[in-house]
Amino acid sequence: MRARNTIAMLIMGLALCGGLALAQTPETAQPSQPSQQRYSADGLYNLANSFARAGKPGLAVLNYERAALLAPGDADINANLEYVRATAHVSAEPRNRFARVAEAVSPALAAWLGVLGIALVGAGLLARKMTPRFRWARIGGVLVGVALIALTVSNAMLLRPRMRAAVILVNQTPARVSPVPMGDTAFILPEAETVTMTAEHEDFVLIRTRGGLSGWVARANLGAVVP
Amino acid sequence: MRTWPTHWSRVIVVAILCLLAPLTKANAAADPALAYETVEPSRIKMGETAVIRVVSLDGYLENIQLPTVPGLSFEIMGRVQGLEFVNGKSIPASYILIRVTPQFAGVFTIPGLTPKSATVGLEVYTGDAPNPYAWRSEKPAATPPPMSKAPVPKGIQLRAGGAAFVQLVVPTRPVYVGESVPVDIELGIRPGIVTSLNGPPALTGSDFTLNNLSKEPLRRNQVIEGSPFLVMTWHSALAAVKPGDFSLSVQTPISVKLNTRSAEDQEFAARLGWPFSQIPYNGVAPKDVTIDSPASALKVLSLPKEGRPNDFSGAVGEFQVSSDTSSTRVAAGDPLTLRLHITGVGNFDRVDATMFDHLEHWKTYPAKSTFTASDPAGDKGEKVFEQPLIAGQPGEQSIPALEFSYFNPNTQHYERAQTQPIKVIVAASLADSSLGAPAEAAGGPNGVLMSQAARGLRADHPQPRSSVSELRPLYFQAPFLAVPAALALILAGSLFAVRPHPGRVASKAAERALAQLDAAARSGDPASFFEMARKALQQTFVARWQISPDQITGSELQARLGAAGEDVERLFALADEAKYSKYEAGATDFQRWLKVIRGQLLGDGR
Repeated sequence: MRARNTIAMLIMGLALCGGLALAQTPETAQPSQPSQQRYSADGLYNLANSFARAGKPGLAVLNYERAALLAPGDADINANLEYVRATAHVSAEPRNRFARVAEAVSPALAAWLGVLGIALVGAGLLARKMTPRFRWARIGGVLVGVALIALTVSNAMLLRPRMRAAVILVNQTPARVSPVPMGDTAFILPEAETVTMTAEHEDFVLIRTRGGLSGWVARANLGAVVP
Repeated sequence: MRTWPTHWSRVIVVAILCLLAPLTKANAAADPALAYETVEPSRIKMGETAVIRVVSLDGYLENIQLPTVPGLSFEIMGRVQGLEFVNGKSIPASYILIRVTPQFAGVFTIPGLTPKSATVGLEVYTGDAPNPYAWRSEKPAATPPPMSKAPVPKGIQLRAGGAAFVQLVVPTRPVYVGESVPVDIELGIRPGIVTSLNGPPALTGSDFTLNNLSKEPLRRNQVIEGSPFLVMTWHSALAAVKPGDFSLSVQTPISVKLNTRSAEDQEFAARLGWPFSQIPYNGVAPKDVTIDSPASALKVLSLPKEGRPNDFSGAVGEFQVSSDTSSTRVAAGDPLTLRLHITGVGNFDRVDATMFDHLEHWKTYPAKSTFTASDPAGDKGEKVFEQPLIAGQPGEQSIPALEFSYFNPNTQHYERAQTQPIKVIVAASLADSSLGAPAEAAGGPNGVLMSQAARGLRADHPQPRSSVSELRPLYFQAPFLAVPAALALILAGSLFAVRPHPGRVASKAAERALAQLDAAARSGDPASFFEMARKALQQTFVARWQISPDQITGSELQARLGAAGEDVERLFALADEAKYSKYEAGATDFQRWLKVIRGQLLGDGR
């Protein structure tokens, strides 16, 4: 009886803590200042379309990438992203089947599914301590919980590299051998090329291309997918 | 009767002797050494070989040990017997020919191969460019160019037996510390007698700095005191490092054939002119000497302290400054190059980039400078500083005027040169405007291309209903990570809360054992009763005292339980008795033993 009271108190604590955390998450957080930037997949997609129509493939790809981050399964976003890249003669890394499965759900949903998975695993272990009954239900709950956690971890692992992705916004952007304006040019990057940021130094960012080339690019010449 | 002048008869005799003289290879009359060596040619290109000829005039030359010189390999080609003609006399001579093959370029000194022979020099060069500092007499003025009969320059003092001279021409006016002063250095050498120039002229002392001398000095031919000289002239600039009255001179290392013939012979040979004037030097081994110029006085004044600007960096001369930028319209964050041009005459090495220190509101990087001289001395020209700038804020920005202070030795005052401010329009960077709608339609080739391609785009979506303030996924945000972390902690706490308590477990076991004992007592089965009782007590004591069952003896029980120990010991004995001898116990006995057992199982825990 005493143990059950303890569990009940812990669950109430969890509900309180989760509620507080939920209140802090950006999904429901109200902007503290009117100027705070708000993002939506549809808004970013429409903005990217307008940049594409205006002949700015770099800004278009950047906003398509941002929209895809919020809605990875959106067919329109992916189709237009590939289309603009192809028009700008910029290649992209094809996604494999595992990536398509792991990114089938949005990152926000994957995050909450991970929480649910932790709850299912924990509840299954707790029930096993408290009662020997409902054995198959307990095992099933634990397995489902583990699967949900795995889905969340896979989703996070696939999206993690995109946290450091950036898009070249200016055509013929020089990548220099050193982070100074007068540094020698190592190679030239086309507009709309997606690169990975590996380091920063003052006004320059060290980038790495899909081909493995590294160079310093002026911060003003690229846009980070996650600002 | 026609008579010949006396000096003409001497001319004929000497001419005959001179015609024979080139055949001699040793100056035996002048040099008591009876062995010597020569290397021909003394300057070769990489891939070529030279030959050392060791000559002995005092009989057969014994085997000689080949020298060890890093970068050179030696190989004996053979021996030759012959005759050397010295002063008209034939002397038996012995020769050893050694092939020298260089392994890399450089100037090599080959030690004498016999105790009586001197060292010889060999220079090995790469490429086709001639060594500007080496002058060789491989073609001993076979076709001398027409020479000007210039008078003997004032102040020239012939050195090295009259074979060379060096002269430093400095201004006669006082100069200031740091002022770049043009100077001329003239070096005259007699071809065929001076065999090599072993380095550029250098100032003596450390009170002055001299600009790097050109590797291609001006050359002219001049006759001085009846002898042809090759005169090389360097135009350079020197600067004093401290004030005072100084005496300046330059030194030049050369290799020269020092003539040891009598003054009368030399004068006579010189009077004959070329090629007879060369004859006294034939067969003389060259010697390394350093010649110096006559001293030149120079007064150096210190810079006045009065009126010296705080930003004065030591530039002395006459300068003009101007500036421009690579562009007047840039995006925020885009680098912009500010170029500062400084032209004029003076010590450009003291013109530094400190004037860029006052570029507020601009991010600066180390400036790069280049100097382009417009005269051979290097004190006139243009120095250009390239200063990369980055504007942090969009809008109309201004690059302030740049000021430069210097001392003008002509006006003897400090002066200040200033550039004009430059306005630059800084637009917002593309990265900053990535979330704003495009303001202008497609323009340029890329825009046209994209507009045509835009027809293949999928349509816009309806206006969004929900939005987020962060593009970073939830699981990468710290506030959200508190949720699964708190959940995991709560579940771990719950698992900890429902874990079995050891005391409670023992109590339940004791109650179960007492229930079984009670049942056995009611059934009147003393064997089962006492056996179960002993087992329950032993398990309790083992758990309570943390000892093994074998250690639970009568003495142990009495020591730990006191008087109650005797009851327990009696109960253990009854258990054996009931098991093996049909012990009969009454209901009273069962109740009494139940009380004892309960007291121990649920007792004070001693």
